[in-house]
Amino acid sequence: MEEKKITEQESLDLITTMIKKAKNAYHDTGMSAIMWGAVVALCSLVKYSEIQFRYRLPFDIYLLTIVAIIPQVFISIRENKERTVKSYDDNYMDYIWLGFGICIALMIMIVTVMSNHWQPVADEYSKLSGKTSSFQLYEFVSPLFLLLYGLPTFITGAACKFKPMLWGGILCWVCCVISVFTGAKIDLILVAVSAVFAWLIPGIILEKDYRAAKKGLEQAHV
Amino acid sequence: MFKDLDPILHSQLRLAVISLLISVKEAEFTFLREKTNSTAGNLSVQIQKLKDAGYIDVTKQFKDNYPQTVCKITKQGIKAFEEYVSSLQSYLGNGRK
Repeated sequence: MEEKKITEQESLDLITTMIKKAKNAYHDTGMSAIMWGAVVALCSLVKYSEIQFRYRLPFDIYLLTIVAIIPQVFISIRENKERTVKSYDDNYMDYIWLGFGICIALMIMIVTVMSNHWQPVADEYSKLSGKTSSFQLYEFVSPLFLLLYGLPTFITGAACKFKPMLWGGILCWVCCVISVFTGAKIDLILVAVSAVFAWLIPGIILEKDYRAAKKGLEQAHV
Repeated sequence: MFKDLDPILHSQLRLAVISLLISVKEAEFTFLREKTNSTAGNLSVQIQKLKDAGYIDVTKQFKDNYPQTVCKITKQGIKAFEEYVSSLQSYLGNGRK
């Protein structure tokens, strides 16, 4: 492109082309979605197998979600370095997912405090009545998390017009409703299914698109 | 009576740069060069002209020990672009009548 005068129609065409180019400029690498989808699904399935096959790992498998924050930091730093353009959408999305992370941390804290308060009551009930309480707090933990999983996934899918994530977000909420009426074991399967369809599969699609876009760019520069 | 088209924007490369910057928060020089298929020298000159007109802000910094130029459209640039598009529409609209 050179510095030359253009006609009015050419100007309008150029504006349209450039705006389209800018909109298609950024491709998410999908790495974060793949990692979190895999980690959450793995944790849920391991927990399920612990209950199903009556064994216990020497550590809580959910600690893996805390460990996963370390690679996430590296992924974010690398993506920021590679990014040559910042859109307004990227900014909003970053805040939405940061807010989601904060909500998850707060939810873990609330559930832990509630559980610590509830357990003595349940123990006393068992001692007095000789029966275990029909209300188990952990039965209602998964629906709360599924509720949260759905929100940023749905917003990202809708805002970025990325249908796999939009449907993934909706699936989280469907699984949330189902898990209210199912036992803790089935809830874990529902969480794993949600993580696979809301993050892992959309992440793989994003990664494939990113590779294709990168390859196209490299060929254009040859 | 038609308003004259802004001579700063009515040039292929400068208009391309402004059209890219209107759609994003900020963009690096390398991004603008890649999307406009221009040479670094020519793009630098046009970016300087847009900066002198007050249409864009240019920040020079270092990223991993390499110099990095980040461009961002200003409020004045947005206003000029909107006026330019509106003038274009009136020109083209009248031409079609």
